[in-house]
Amino acid sequence: MNVTFNNRDPVYIQVVRYFKEQIANGNLMAGQEIPSRRELAAMLKINPNTAQKAYKEMEEQGLITTERNYPSKITTNENILHGVREELIVAAVDSFMQSIRPLNISIDELLHIVQEKYSQESSKEVL
Amino acid sequence: MIEVNQLTKKFGRKKVLDGVSFTANKGEITCLIGINGVGKTTTLKAIMGLTPINKGSILIDGETINKNTYEKVAFIPDAITMLPQMTIKQAMQFMQDFYKKWNQERATELLTFFKLDEKTRISELSKGNTAKINLLMGLAIDVDYILMDEPFSGIDIFSREQITEVFTSHLIEDRGVIITTHEINDIEHLIDKVILLDNGIVLKEFNTEQMRQEEGKSVVDVMREVYIG
Repeated sequence: MNVTFNNRDPVYIQVVRYFKEQIANGNLMAGQEIPSRRELAAMLKINPNTAQKAYKEMEEQGLITTERNYPSKITTNENILHGVREELIVAAVDSFMQSIRPLNISIDELLHIVQEKYSQESSKEVL
Repeated sequence: MIEVNQLTKKFGRKKVLDGVSFTANKGEITCLIGINGVGKTTTLKAIMGLTPINKGSILIDGETINKNTYEKVAFIPDAITMLPQMTIKQAMQFMQDFYKKWNQERATELLTFFKLDEKTRISELSKGNTAKINLLMGLAIDVDYILMDEPFSGIDIFSREQITEVFTSHLIEDRGVIITTHEINDIEHLIDKVILLDNGIVLKEFNTEQMRQEEGKSVVDVMREVYIG
């Protein structure tokens, strides 16, 4: 796991976001076991209390489930998993819109550029 | 919990600590920061009962410091106190003879973690490895609280990384840790609480995650505000 955290947002929120990304892109799947709090802290080089807080937040949001004496797992609730993907996409598009709107560009031109850029980026990844 | 109340300490006429108060919880890493000079080490020594205090009180789990509380706390000084001609093994043996609460199993585990060989002499160790062995000597004592004086000071980046890893591992368990430092950069994500000291007083005490959440500020942001204004 390679994550860089910024110093100004709560680390636990950044950890939750990291898990959401992993769920959205399919790296973490429904029902999959996740590392213990201590393991996660060591992997991400964060305070174990912060890892604990991130897990608690994810439990409250229904992203993970924990049964006594068993490792925590990603939820199998499809609605929640879909919701995560949607939430991240909408948030990304929102912030994109915020920076592109002031440029007053037509939707056709915009879509064209997005399409081109997107396929360029994807082919880079393949290389 | 370690509670420091209105701690005042004079060296001659100079007040090194002038009414310092803060708390440090078990299971948390509390960081005492001061950009210049004295006060941090004196505070740790006062908690250990190694230096008499002029005013104030120090409570450990609600008890004024005494022989009993001394057994609950380990102090790791900023330089190793073992004789240079000793091997690591001999140094560990010395600690075992000296401390009833020495935990050889944990010591061995730490040695493996740091990838060091017990046959090496202290004098043969690099600066970074000396710092690791120094840390090991304190961490292998079974106590509830660990006080570390400048564990990151003057060592190479990879040793710092390894020491940082100890903090996130089970080797710390849920003990309470107080560390003093003036370099905060690569440990910002590790610490629970920060106490900013200057000229013998506490300028600010805060929880790092709460500060990020409520004010969107990093530890360095707050330090800049408090120290530079």
